[in-house]
Amino acid sequence: MALNDRLRGVFVDALQLDDSVDVENLKYRDIDEWDSVGHMALVAAIEDEFDVQFETEQVIDMSSFKVAVDMLKGFGAGE
Amino acid sequence: MTLLHAQARLRDAATGELLGGAELAGRVSEAAKELADLPSGVLFLRVGLDLTSVLRYLGAFEAGRAVALLDPAQDREVLDGLVSRFRPAAVLGVDDEPAPGYTQDWVREDVDGVAPHPDLAVMLPTSGSTGNPKFVRLSRSAILANADAIAEVLGIDENEVAPTSLPLHYSYGMSVLNSHLRKGATVLLEGSGVVARPFWDAVTQYGVTSLAGVPYHYEMLRRLRFDPAKYPTLRTLTQAGGKLRTDLVSEFNDKMRAVGGQMFVMYGQTEAAPRMATVPADRLAEKIGSAGPALPGGAFAIRDEDGNEITEPGVAGEVVYRGPNVMMGYAESEAELALGDETGGVLVTGDLGYLDSDGFLYITGRLKRIGKVFGNRVNLDDLEQIVKGFGAAAAVPAGDKVVVFLDRAEKDTCKQAAKLLSETLHLHVTGFDVRPAEGFPQLPSGKIDYRSLEAQV
Repeated sequence: MALNDRLRGVFVDALQLDDSVDVENLKYRDIDEWDSVGHMALVAAIEDEFDVQFETEQVIDMSSFKVAVDMLKGFGAGE
Repeated sequence: MTLLHAQARLRDAATGELLGGAELAGRVSEAAKELADLPSGVLFLRVGLDLTSVLRYLGAFEAGRAVALLDPAQDREVLDGLVSRFRPAAVLGVDDEPAPGYTQDWVREDVDGVAPHPDLAVMLPTSGSTGNPKFVRLSRSAILANADAIAEVLGIDENEVAPTSLPLHYSYGMSVLNSHLRKGATVLLEGSGVVARPFWDAVTQYGVTSLAGVPYHYEMLRRLRFDPAKYPTLRTLTQAGGKLRTDLVSEFNDKMRAVGGQMFVMYGQTEAAPRMATVPADRLAEKIGSAGPALPGGAFAIRDEDGNEITEPGVAGEVVYRGPNVMMGYAESEAELALGDETGGVLVTGDLGYLDSDGFLYITGRLKRIGKVFGNRVNLDDLEQIVKGFGAAAAVPAGDKVVVFLDRAEKDTCKQAAKLLSETLHLHVTGFDVRPAEGFPQLPSGKIDYRSLEAQV
């Protein structure tokens, strides 16, 4: 499965998003579900799904779906 | 008597703007003037972490107008319910269509309303419940007494810089603001929170000296591998809003002490404006798990089931607090705004605990069916009511979350129930762990055996 699709699935599960949410254009705090609590759940879920571990700086910089994609590419995930 | 010390300053992290001295006082009186012509009644303020919100709050306080602080993200339905029950003079900080009976600017059309009691300064919602919250009535003197006592035990002075890491409609967040402004410190208005880059940039840029958090913040900070060495000005951590795991208390205390900093563990309830106890930082290591001695001016007593005071150290009973910061009482509708003090400075907390021989309080449980979700109090019976459409439910506390057992439910139903709880109570969905169950354990009386359910989580 393509990286974006896998990551979209993680976002939907971790944040329990409705189908109506435009996940790929989502930014931190755009929606109630992605607040600070949601962020930590999301980071943990991404780490599980892609078997990676983010650095502190990456956790606080993960401000959008797109940034998360770029970070995962940096890990060589989804290739 | 005022909240605003002459040295107090507000910094808006979004713009960098710093307001202090005569300029800040001027902006506060401007905000106060705007409230002068409003009809009689309480003010509703949807209070965000922004300058306009804080100036309005301070304006109301200085003008002697009772103000209820509300969650800016609160559902319209809940707001409408509160408006119809309390008939506020005006609702500030809201821009959707006004409620019936209100002008385009959300001012009540009917000029006649119940005049709030002259001592009443601030009303805060009791957490959650069925999305139909009641308010805690706090007097001006209770707010000021608590701000002073907190500042005393934490050593707050004009050199402190505290960020708004908690919402201001939440009693702990309000008290951080109050106690700092009262002592001439700086409050940094920052809305992105401890998991986001802008927050930590602001910590460095504006020389933040302290950070206030509830247990889930400390879970986050641990996950972020928080290292105080990276933030040389940040030397004080405070924790309240529920019991933090003792291993985390130790971990953060050690981290802070290693860099010459300090950690304070505190205990309170919104009903006490909110602080009741704080463990002195230099005694935390030897008193891990304690909530601390009562604040200056306050005192704890422990009562047994018959209401008699237990004087023997180490024996648990219901925790009763007495102090100048205890609420006047609750308000469920407009008529109660006029009421004076109903508590006589005594708060029966509903918490179970004991005092050690040094007078340090240890909380051991709850008398009432109450849980905490990310620091917010929730009534467990209400949770069961909310999800009853999905089947019989049994809710139990589980640290900073709650577990709701749903009888014979599918996984998907559990997910929907969690979502409904999250939406109704406006708390993050991950705070509600809804699990399927095959019936519930029962007591001989036929009631649900919550203790054995709790043991399962």
